[in-house]
Amino acid sequence: MLKVNGIDVYYGKVQALFDVSIEVGDREIVSIIGANGAGKTTLMKSIMGINKPKNGTIEYNGQVISGLPPHKVVSKKIVYIPEGREIFPNMTVQENLEMGAYSVKLSKAEMERHLEEQYEIFPRLKERAKQKAGSMSGGEQQMLAIARGLMSDPELLMLDEPSLGLAPVIVDDMFDVIVRVNKVRNIPIAIVEQNAFMAMSISDRTYVLEVGNLVTHGESKTLMDSDEIKKAYLGG
Amino acid sequence: MQVFVQLLITGIAMGFIYALVGIEYTLIWNATGLLNFSHDKFILFGAYMFAGTYVLGLGLPPVLAILFAVLTMFLFGIVSAFVIFNPLSKLSTNLFAVIGTVILGRIMIESVRLIWGPLPFTLDNFLRGSIHFGSVVVSKAHLVIIVVCSLITAGLQVFFKTTKTGKAMRCVSENKTAASLMGINVPMNIAFTIGLSAIVCATIGILVIPIFNVELQMSSMIGLKGFASGVIGGFGYLPGAIVGGILLGVVEIFGSMLIPSVYKDCLSFVLLIIFLLVRPSGILGNKR
Ligand SMILES: Nc1ncnc2c1ncn2[C@@H]1O[C@H](COP(=O)(O)OP(=O)(O)OP(=O)(O)O)[C@@H](O)[C@H]1O
Ligand SMILES: [Mg+2]
Repeated sequence: MLKVNGIDVYYGKVQALFDVSIEVGDREIVSIIGANGAGKTTLMKSIMGINKPKNGTIEYNGQVISGLPPHKVVSKKIVYIPEGREIFPNMTVQENLEMGAYSVKLSKAEMERHLEEQYEIFPRLKERAKQKAGSMSGGEQQMLAIARGLMSDPELLMLDEPSLGLAPVIVDDMFDVIVRVNKVRNIPIAIVEQNAFMAMSISDRTYVLEVGNLVTHGESKTLMDSDEIKKAYLGG
Repeated sequence: MQVFVQLLITGIAMGFIYALVGIEYTLIWNATGLLNFSHDKFILFGAYMFAGTYVLGLGLPPVLAILFAVLTMFLFGIVSAFVIFNPLSKLSTNLFAVIGTVILGRIMIESVRLIWGPLPFTLDNFLRGSIHFGSVVVSKAHLVIIVVCSLITAGLQVFFKTTKTGKAMRCVSENKTAASLMGINVPMNIAFTIGLSAIVCATIGILVIPIFNVELQMSSMIGLKGFASGVIGGFGYLPGAIVGGILLGVVEIFGSMLIPSVYKDCLSFVLLIIFLLVRPSGILGNKR
């Protein structure tokens, strides 16, 4: 269970997050929505230890994790699938996946099993296993980024704009995968999205960020009916 | 004919030395985005550590001395990573880190002068003599250089392709944020890369002792030419450094047959300039 308690985050002198608090419960899907520049990615990166909050704390399963370097946060089995894919372009698809399991010790057989599992969810990746990751299409790279994130058996999964640059059909598939991961693996998921409608319809609760401030949060169902949210994020 | 073969072997041997220099600074460039301007001093340090301290000072047998020298340089690399490379590369401009490595080089060469003295010396029984293959006479030093350098380049390829740490190093050189999100300890991994680079430097320093003796300027020329070979082969690309290095070594040795040998050293730089003008991405530059 993740708890962010009133964090302030700065880039140099510019403040990007103001007293932001969120919670992600044990089995829920939480979505975080907001316009461009609202601070969604900043929030994710702060949880991962890439940005250091100036005030406030971040707790995971009762332990304070704010202040830890990213690799230590990853070792707590928190996985963040970053915005913009961030794959390793000169490594093969399979090597990328194997690096996803860097933080866990896997035997050869277990590694095979993990790879097969991902190839089952994303058959496209299997066809491209020996190809350089950078030579794949944007959508395929996004699938790779998600598959790579799942390789280490995360206990909390955070996705930053997983639908970015994907064809509408694929977007549906992508959200199906996310829901399935949540149900089958029983792990909480935090998802940041521009596609607010999609994110809200698969999530239990939603947080709304506006220029670094948390403005509302609540049950996704309830929020989707609110006129303000409809107007601002759901296009009508 | 036998002259040709002998020259070719000498050229290839020198080429491998340049290739190792190319590899040694490319490792750091890929890991940190910084040029290590003290890299020739790392080579110098390795040679003095081996010859001055471990062989002549402590009287160790060469194999043991090599082991200790390599280990010492590895630790030196790790320490300089945490003192110079990691902190300075985080600053707003790379200029600080550049100056940092230049100063490190000055400190190192002055330390060499203080610790081991300004006078050149050599190791009399280390890789001296020659071996006959029929009518072809090859110096032992050149032969050992070719064998050791081939092993190192092959070993590095295997290391980067198959080991977890090696793969992690490739991740760090491709994308540091993503690497840290995989759970890689990026600063530690960079330190390890710099340690590895220092090991290669020490090896170069030890291998060239029979050719250049142990003296303060022994590594400046190979440092420059190794840099050139990296650019000629394809900057930032390890196989490029190898191809560029060997090409440079061979061109240089045969070139010195045609032009007065005082101009021999210019040849590499002429080649460098030609490549910068005609094909700045280097021979293998587009192969990535
Ligand atoms: N590395 C950085 N240096 C300085 N300012 C930054 C940096 N990254 C983000 N910012 C600023 O912080 C604010 C929040 O950015 P952030 O990337 O978190 O937004 P976001 O909600 O993820 O937006 P988007 O939907 O476009 O991805 C923006 O004003 C942005 O300009
Ligand atoms: Mg963002």
